[in-house]
Amino acid sequence: MTDSPSDTPETEENEAVEPDALAQWAEQLAGTLDAEAWSADHGTVQITVDRTAWRDAATKARDKAGLNFFSWLSATDWSREVTVGEPASDVEDLEERFDVQCRLSSVANANGAILVASVPKDDPVIDSLVTVFGGAAWHEREAAEMFGLRFTGHPHLVNIYLPDEFEGHPLRKSFPLLAREVKPWPGTVDVEGMPEDGPSTENTEAAAVERGAE
Amino acid sequence: MTQQLDPVAAMHLSDAAVSVELETPDMTLNIGPQHPSTHGVLRLVARVDGERVESVEPVIGYMHRGYEKISEVRTFAQITALINRIDWVSGFANEIPFIVGVERLMDIEVPERAQYIRLILTEMTRISSHLLFMSSYPLELGAATPLMYALREREHVMDIIEGLTGGRFHPNFNRVGGVKPAAGGGSTQKKVSMDLQAGFIAATDAAMDKVLSVCDELDTLVTGNEFFQARTVGVGVIPAEKAILYGVSGPNLRASGVNFDLRKHEQVLPYDQFEFDIPVGANGDCYDRYLVRLAEIRQSVRIIKQAVSSIPSGPLQAKVPRVLKVPRGQTYVRAENPKGEMGYFIVSEGGRIPYRLKIRSASFSNLSILPWLLEDQLVPDLVAIMGSLDFVLGDVDR
Repeated sequence: MTDSPSDTPETEENEAVEPDALAQWAEQLAGTLDAEAWSADHGTVQITVDRTAWRDAATKARDKAGLNFFSWLSATDWSREVTVGEPASDVEDLEERFDVQCRLSSVANANGAILVASVPKDDPVIDSLVTVFGGAAWHEREAAEMFGLRFTGHPHLVNIYLPDEFEGHPLRKSFPLLAREVKPWPGTVDVEGMPEDGPSTENTEAAAVERGAE
Repeated sequence: MTQQLDPVAAMHLSDAAVSVELETPDMTLNIGPQHPSTHGVLRLVARVDGERVESVEPVIGYMHRGYEKISEVRTFAQITALINRIDWVSGFANEIPFIVGVERLMDIEVPERAQYIRLILTEMTRISSHLLFMSSYPLELGAATPLMYALREREHVMDIIEGLTGGRFHPNFNRVGGVKPAAGGGSTQKKVSMDLQAGFIAATDAAMDKVLSVCDELDTLVTGNEFFQARTVGVGVIPAEKAILYGVSGPNLRASGVNFDLRKHEQVLPYDQFEFDIPVGANGDCYDRYLVRLAEIRQSVRIIKQAVSSIPSGPLQAKVPRVLKVPRGQTYVRAENPKGEMGYFIVSEGGRIPYRLKIRSASFSNLSILPWLLEDQLVPDLVAIMGSLDFVLGDVDR
C-alpha cells in the first residue's frame, strides 16, 4: 500500500506522454507510406491508404519503416443492414464498404500499425500481398472465403477453412447465423433487453451501474 | 553360360546399372485427417518422390468453430468463455489480450493485485503448455518415457490453476477490470470475496520446485540424448528472415535467433517488475525450438517465484458497471501466448456486443510456413518438423 501513491503519478505521466509519441510516430509513418489518413486511438495505429496503393504501402512499410513482421490480414464488413448482432452506431451516414486491414509490426521494438484500405461492395478486389509477405497467403485465403474478397495476384486463392462447395461468405453481415435461425439461443436473454425490459425499476441500467458501484 | 565375363567388366556393368536414373513416379501421400500425435485434426497432402517430399498442402478447417462470427452475437463478458477454447492448452493466456483490449476501450485501470494474479496464471499456463510439448514431442520421435515425467509435474501446476479458478483447462477467470472477485457471481453476487486460497504461495513454490526438477530430468533424458539429437539437430531449419515474413512468432521465432518477446515490449501485464531472460536459439532447427521451450519453462518459474513473493494487497477488480457497454472505438491488443503472438482486433460500436472481433492466433501463422518448410525434406523428418512447431489445431482453426 505504501508503494501505490508514489507509483500512481508516474504511470499517469507515462500515459500522458505515450499517446503523443504514438501519434507522432503514426504521422511520420503516414508520410512514409503516402497515406490518406492516420489515427492512433487506444494505442492502435491505423494508416488508411487507397486500395490502388495497397501493395506499395505494404512494401514501403516493410522496407522503409522496419515493419517486416506479418501479423495478420482480415477485413470488416460495414453494412447498414445486419442479420446478426447489433448494427453500426451511425447507420444513416455509414458508407457501405469492406475495410481490408493488415497488421504489420517490427521485431526490434514495439512498433506496429494496421494498414487499412476501403474496398467497394460491388467490386471487392484488392492486390495480393503474397509477393511482399509470404505469410499473407493463408490470411488472404481466409479473408477471401469469409468476406468474398478477391486478391489479384494470389497464386492459389481457394477456400482454406470451408469446403470447396460452400455457398456464401460467413463473415459478411448479410450472412445469417444458421444455428440461431433454427433455434433461438437461450443465452439471448442476456444479450437482448434484460435490464431495460424488466418491469421493475430496479432493473434499469442506471440502477445496475449503481449496484456495481456500491 | 558359355561366355565367361571378365570380372572387371562385370563390375563396371553393375555400377552402370545402379547409377541409371530410374523413372520414379511421384506419389501422393495422404497423412490424416488425424495428426500423427493428435493435437487436433489436420490433413497433409504430400507429394513424395521416394523418401523426398516434393510439396505439402496442409488441409485445415476440420475444427473451424467460427468464433469470429459467434462473437458478433455475444456480449463482451460472454466472449471470454469462448476464447478459452481457441488454444485449449493455454486457455487463461487466451483471455488476457481480449480482456485488456476491452479495458483499454473502456478506460479502466486494473488493480495491481489482479494484474499480478493474471501474470502468475499466464506464466503457469506457459509452463503447462510447454510441459505438454516436452511430453508429446519426444513421443512423436519414439521416446515414451519423458511423457510420464513431464505430465506428472504438469499436474501440480494444473492443480494450482484449478484450485484458484475452478477450471483445469478453461478457467474463464478474467473479468473486465480484474479477475473473478466473488463466489457465485451474477445477480446473486454477495460481498464474499474469493481471494487466493490459503497456502497458495507455499503450494506454488513447491510446484515450481518440482517443475525445475523435471527440467533437470528432461535435460538428462532428452536434451543430451544422441537419438533425439540425431532426429532434430539441423532438421527443419527456419531462417530468421523467412520466419518474420511468414509471421512465425513465439518460441519458434526465437529459436531462429530473433530476440523478440512481447512480454518485454507490450505493457499488457506488469512484466517490467520482474527479472527474466529471453532464451534465444542459434540455428532455428527442431533442436533449438525444443531448447528454447525448455529454457522458457525455467524463466517462467523465475517470474512466478518473484511474483508470488511480492504480490501486493488490494482489490481484485476495479469498479465497473454491471451492464458492460464498450464505447465506440477500435483497438488491437496482443500478448505473448505460449505459442506466440495472440491478439484481438476489437471493433466496438458502443454496444454490449462487438461489431467485429478479429482473432489473431499464433498457430495459424506458425503453421502457414509448413508448405515452404517441408519442401525437399525427407518423409521421416516430416513428423519431427511438424511436432517441433508446437501448434494446436484449435488455435489454427479458431
